[in-house]
Amino acid sequence: MSAFGEAFNNIAIHGYGCAATGQVEIDIEPSPDRLTLIVRDTGKSFDPEAVPMPNLEGLPESGMGLYIIRSFMDVVEYRPGSEGRPNVLTLVKLLDASPEARELQTSQASAPRNPKRQ
Amino acid sequence: MHFSLKDRGSYTVLRIEGELDANTAPDLRPTLDKLVLGGGRTVTVDLSGLRLIDSSGVGALVSLYKRMRARGGSVRVEGICDQPLAIFRLLRLDAVFCAGLN
Repeated sequence: MSAFGEAFNNIAIHGYGCAATGQVEIDIEPSPDRLTLIVRDTGKSFDPEAVPMPNLEGLPESGMGLYIIRSFMDVVEYRPGSEGRPNVLTLVKLLDASPEARELQTSQASAPRNPKRQ
Repeated sequence: MHFSLKDRGSYTVLRIEGELDANTAPDLRPTLDKLVLGGGRTVTVDLSGLRLIDSSGVGALVSLYKRMRARGGSVRVEGICDQPLAIFRLLRLDAVFCAGLN
């Protein structure tokens, strides 16, 4: 909930520059072992790797959104859009709490698909 | 989001209920500005009725904290729980603000 709220705010504020309206498409895909949220927008894209970590000791008043998203979600993937294609943010929360299962599932969840695998 | 301000003599209680987020945090700003202008007082922020906070809400409270401290005052938070407490712990604000954790 926190992660989605921060992502939505970032799209509204940074992606669409606080415009009065903007399109955001949200797909929610529940499955037995995970919840996947896919958020698409046609606003300005960004480079998540270029966003600095907040300096928590300095008591920041802003810039915490992406840190919150990454902390609460197990997989966070962002694909900036290009002509005609929206930006796509994928958030995955694994539902199995054990650390071993979480580590295994996180590496599987973000591994590129191999079309040759049976 | 609903909020109320009560003067208890040596300190002021600001109670915030509901959801403090990007939509509602701006409604709180004038009250926070007034508290800061009031000078070096102690403000207790009662969050026992707060269900949800986002980074904008956090920003408003951190801003209050820093501005009050700059004027010789102090801010503490009481009654924080559930999702707001999880956010405070993540951002290590529980150590900064909290007198009474549930």
